[in-house]
Amino acid sequence: MLEAKDWLARIHALNIEQPMRIMNVCGGHERSISMAGLRTALPKQVQLIAGPGCPVCVCPEEDVYQAIQLAVHAGVILVAFGDMLRVPVNVAKGALRSLEQAKAAGADVRPIASPREAVQIAQQNPERQVVFFAAGFETTMAPVAAMLLEGVPDNLSLLLSGRLTWPAVAMLLDSGEAGFNALVAPGHVATVMGPEEWSFVVEQHHMPAAVAGFTPVSLLAAMYSVLRQSLEDKCFLDNCYPELVKPGGNPAARRLLAKAFDVTDANWRGIGIIPASGYALAPAYAAHDARLRFPAYNDTERKRAGQMPPGCDCARVVLGRIDPDACKLYGTACTPKYPVGPCMVSDEGACRIWWSTGVRAAVHD
Amino acid sequence: MCLGIPMQIVSIDGFNARCEAKGVSREVSLFLLQGEDIKIGDHVMVHVGYAIQTMTAQEARSTWELLDEMLAAEDSDA
Ligand code: SF4
Repeated sequence: MLEAKDWLARIHALNIEQPMRIMNVCGGHERSISMAGLRTALPKQVQLIAGPGCPVCVCPEEDVYQAIQLAVHAGVILVAFGDMLRVPVNVAKGALRSLEQAKAAGADVRPIASPREAVQIAQQNPERQVVFFAAGFETTMAPVAAMLLEGVPDNLSLLLSGRLTWPAVAMLLDSGEAGFNALVAPGHVATVMGPEEWSFVVEQHHMPAAVAGFTPVSLLAAMYSVLRQSLEDKCFLDNCYPELVKPGGNPAARRLLAKAFDVTDANWRGIGIIPASGYALAPAYAAHDARLRFPAYNDTERKRAGQMPPGCDCARVVLGRIDPDACKLYGTACTPKYPVGPCMVSDEGACRIWWSTGVRAAVHD
Repeated sequence: MCLGIPMQIVSIDGFNARCEAKGVSREVSLFLLQGEDIKIGDHVMVHVGYAIQTMTAQEARSTWELLDEMLAAEDSDA
């Protein structure tokens, strides 16, 4: 089996004259790339761009706000994946600006690591309402669908902020200024949904693409593939993670997703509505929709509702328009300890990943 | 979150499996692998408590090496 250094040697042996900008759309990919130092190991014509790969970062600010209100004012037990707890919303100074602050102020907010814990907490507290604030991409939404289909107690409802990954890439490609000329497609999304979802990149946009796993070997194999595809002017969707990514993906998972959810137009924080990019509960599960059960806890009239925090460039970071260290607040006002924007909060946010793998603040004038 | 953790199945009870990785034992749902032929000893990729695909022991090992490096990096994270 080829090792990382062999793939690097192969890449360096290629005659790359034109600048190549390879985008990944997965926080796990970005973490591996940053940790293994692949950016500096590749020829300088090859640039690696972190794209929309962080579901926490694009989770609408309104949804986080609503979750905070539910926890504080509706007396519910609010459960969410740990990353969501520190995401800040835009509220007046002194008001509770994250689920973590709500928890510190006495609200019943509980971090969970699996949808199964949401069910357990609901079962253990039959007299209370439990709201599961669920943000995530296909890999997370398939387990959430499984949870629903297996049956959930009446007192459990969902504040759903699930998103599909490929429509954001389609939106970038359709915008006419994609900002990248090759794609590394997300390995575990393709494990669940099948690699075919990404064929449009090759077929409609004639752009090289390869599905990658998370080891440097798999990522470098994918990069070598897209570079060669480009040099030989022969695009195809390569699968560099065949151990897990099978044609058609995981059929049971796709079936459950289709039963539990409808696909709808959805809002991405700082970016706007992307067509057919969100999961909503299917009508059969409407009784478990927290938005219907607690309609009074959203306030769209709020100042700066939906926006990124002032000065935060997360939206452009998420779209791969700028590198994280191009944000003026990166490493100065904004660090993992005192995050300003969601991209510095989440383990999958590019700002957080760059900072924790040692990229220190760029000098701004 | 999308990274996932490879684990080995030690026992199966309906859709629930007890899985192990590096001495850590966890209850994992097999609900997303309905229709697959899954046996004790198999390796699965686990994401938020649910197995999303089966995998080989070899693939599980290389992912674990990666996760070890990441954990080490996180520990020294300022
Ligand atoms: S460094 Fe902080 S403020 Fe700047 S884009 Fe990233 S998260 Fe937002």
